[in-house]
Amino acid sequence: MIIITGASKGLGRAICERLLEKDFAVFGIARNVEGLPFPSMACDVSSYEQVKAVSQKLKKDGVKITALINAAGIASMNLAVTTPPNVAVNIIQVNLLGTIYCCQNFAPLMLRNKMGSIVNFSTIAVALGLKGESIYAASKAGVEGFTRSFAREMADFNVKVNCIAPGPIDTNLLKGITSTQIQSIVSQQIIPKQFTPSAVSDLVEVLLDERSSSLSGQVLHIGGA
Amino acid sequence: MNPDRAKTEIFAAILALLENESTVITEDLPLIGSDSVLDSMKLVELCLALEDKAADLGFEFDWTSDAAMSKSRSMFRTAGALAAEFVSQMESKK
Repeated sequence: MIIITGASKGLGRAICERLLEKDFAVFGIARNVEGLPFPSMACDVSSYEQVKAVSQKLKKDGVKITALINAAGIASMNLAVTTPPNVAVNIIQVNLLGTIYCCQNFAPLMLRNKMGSIVNFSTIAVALGLKGESIYAASKAGVEGFTRSFAREMADFNVKVNCIAPGPIDTNLLKGITSTQIQSIVSQQIIPKQFTPSAVSDLVEVLLDERSSSLSGQVLHIGGA
Repeated sequence: MNPDRAKTEIFAAILALLENESTVITEDLPLIGSDSVLDSMKLVELCLALEDKAADLGFEFDWTSDAAMSKSRSMFRTAGALAAEFVSQMESKK
């Protein structure tokens, strides 16, 4: 079974739907899982205790976990100097600590089987150092650093850990960003076009496939950066 | 399970992970640091083994304590400290 965080909407939901189409068993995690048409459990990834409770339940139920997709995330486009401290804390808590907590709690379920794939999420904002996204970029730069080191820790157990860093993908996270701003970012990608959640799902599928077993600790930029 | 039996089983679990089966597992055998007999992979495998053992005994072994990797206070600082922590968790979760 594949665990997907942020499963109720946006990229997480799109990835769930793609994997279901491909007959993977998915287990969704989100703060609100009401109405999700696949197995799921309510959980705020920024709470270590809530994440631990999910892992304990999966372990108790004897579920074999083959992959973890850490798609839960929040964005806040603001200058750092105008960002309230509670917003800064929340961004770091959800994006960085949420990813770490999920890896800490779900990776042991994969270590036992000596196989697995973990996919974390960063952003093009890290590579481009985008203005107005400094705190968001800082949280995701943390995810990239964590991914590279954690990949080494997991390598002995045949668990690969990679990170997808998309450019602006058409989801709710882009709410409040003008099309001019999006075009400006897209124009800085190596492939200067806006990609869709489908492109992200394609790459997730690649990272779940055994044929990507030589890849770990990598940050893969959708669109190139 | 009584504490002595638990300690014996934990020492056996450590020994089972070592390539040199003639190693004598003593109370003060270090499990972390430069003198450790276990590498990081073996340490994680030991944690998983103790987690399974705890589940058999009806409690959850928490190996992510604040002091897990502190050399002076860590439950992994010696085989004896690990056994004591395991027994302590077993007793407190009865």
